[in-house]
Amino acid sequence: MVVCEFPECTTFGAVIRFALELEKGAAGVYEELAKNPKAASAADTFMALAAAHTKRGDLLVHTRQQKLNEMMLEPIQDIKRESYLIDTNLPAGVDVKTGAKFAAKIEETSARFYADSARVAKSLLHEAARVMEKLGKENVANKAKLEAL
Amino acid sequence: MSEVQKNYGKLKNYVNGEWVDSESDKLLDVENPATGEIIAQMPLSTVDETKAAIELAQDAWQEWRETPPISRARIFFKLKELLELDFENIARIMVQEQGKTIDESRGETRRSIENVEVACGIPSLMFGYGLEDGAAEGIDEDAIISPLGVFAAICPFNFPAMIPYWFWPYAVATGNSYIVKPSSQVPITQNYMFRAVEKAGFPPGVINLVNGSHEVSDTLMEHPKVKGISFVGSSPIAKYVYKKSAENGKRVQAQGGAKNSLVVMPDCNMDRSVANMLASFYGCAGQRCLAGSNLILIGDVAEPFMKKFTEASKKIRVGYGLDESNNMGPVISAKSKTKILGYIDGAVKDGAKPVLDGRGIKVPGYEKGHFVGPTVLDHCTPDMAACKDEIFGPVVTVLRMKTLDEAIDFIHSSPFGNAASIYTQNGKWARDFRYKTQCGNIGINVGIVAAMAYFPFAGYKNSFFGDLHGQGQDAINFFTDRKVVITRWY
Repeated sequence: MVVCEFPECTTFGAVIRFALELEKGAAGVYEELAKNPKAASAADTFMALAAAHTKRGDLLVHTRQQKLNEMMLEPIQDIKRESYLIDTNLPAGVDVKTGAKFAAKIEETSARFYADSARVAKSLLHEAARVMEKLGKENVANKAKLEAL
Repeated sequence: MSEVQKNYGKLKNYVNGEWVDSESDKLLDVENPATGEIIAQMPLSTVDETKAAIELAQDAWQEWRETPPISRARIFFKLKELLELDFENIARIMVQEQGKTIDESRGETRRSIENVEVACGIPSLMFGYGLEDGAAEGIDEDAIISPLGVFAAICPFNFPAMIPYWFWPYAVATGNSYIVKPSSQVPITQNYMFRAVEKAGFPPGVINLVNGSHEVSDTLMEHPKVKGISFVGSSPIAKYVYKKSAENGKRVQAQGGAKNSLVVMPDCNMDRSVANMLASFYGCAGQRCLAGSNLILIGDVAEPFMKKFTEASKKIRVGYGLDESNNMGPVISAKSKTKILGYIDGAVKDGAKPVLDGRGIKVPGYEKGHFVGPTVLDHCTPDMAACKDEIFGPVVTVLRMKTLDEAIDFIHSSPFGNAASIYTQNGKWARDFRYKTQCGNIGINVGIVAAMAYFPFAGYKNSFFGDLHGQGQDAINFFTDRKVVITRWY
């Protein structure tokens, strides 16, 4: 099981750190699913999703490094950490349907996190908000993909 | 987040393309202001070492000025790439030695790199100008922009990465050689960044780093081969640097202290304004020369605004900057903390009401850190020292006034003229404020008026001594002169 450490989302950096933990968690769950013999029929899909989440992590690191404007470092006081925690403790030996349902919950929570973060980031950094909106939309698309399995 | 290293040992100077041990046996401890641990030792380089560095920089200059601007720019492109690779380490080291939060450190690292990016455009930025038949028929006149020789920067503690980059990339890109003297309180970041400078490929002697204190500074200000000095620090020292360097025939740009007021008009967007002001008052623990200090509330906005502002201030998380959730770190030193607490004590004694008192803050696990919590002093009066002096800490002095003109008059009563901001949705008020206020950096619904690399970092009155500022075209003009050539061919 991949272990995530979710910080309090009180700064731009902490929001990005939270997002990175979401991506790490999601990628870890998909990797486990891809290795699970009972879910072998969807292994390629799970592998692709794991890779996509890892790549999203790179985008977040890039955003943090390139888009942060020192002038706009306002404290963030209205994103509650507890509302977006995800479960990465995938039960052993699940079938495709159960595994997809488990992962879909992560996608759903992530989508909500990115939508809410984008709303907050809009007043700080428009460019970062755009990235978060994009990631949230991808979460929604991923969830739909999982539900079709 | 983890520290890059626990201890950085004895720092070296970077002179003539080599890392060298100082011959001085005098060392200054560098303290982590959050933990109280000693994390490095900085040598107090000698007068002779400084003179030697100046001579070597002078020797390197001739060949460097003959290097085509496009070739010089290529080294800056390489430097940018290297600094991007070291980005997170630079930011983390800065947290360790300066105390600011990791986000603030990342923001500062970004700003340093932005100055390198601007310097990359030097072939276009240092064009001269010419006029055919400018002098008379058949006689042309041209102005050529030329470098001058050796320049130096004497840097402060509050921005260990960025402030040297307001100056040296422009100086070196325009064809000068350079000596950076980092702050003796925060030398590690700049020493670390010089690893990238070393790898970028500048010829030996073109860019140098000399650690030390006033012996180094005085030598730089006195030496006849140094053409100009850039300085950032307090106003009394800025004035001293300006005077001493000018007496020795040098160009000077000396940025001093500040006492910045943020004016809140009754029609402001309250939620957005409060959030923005928190960053201004408490960012970098109030140790920015652009930090908000006086909060001026106009008319009947005072009561509702204070309620929101105080509630939001209470939520500021204080702690070690390497915890990404913290909004504010410690101040730089025990001495600084004592000074800040003295101002709070004085204001309270004079009748200010502490609606939020950061004097007794305890940060678990960091008992040796120099923390001061967010402090809001309501019902201050213009005559209080806390409203007039630069406190350089997370202290908000609240003044209630009737009109915008009263606020502007108050701002003008200060010997400082660094920055001032207004929060309003009214274009007329904003325009009046921009037009009338005698400060170098004006914010309209922006509390940290930090000029980007391609604009000058301005400042009026005792906040700046000199005429050409750091960054942008001002910096290019400071580090060059205009040579006029009149040509006639028979």
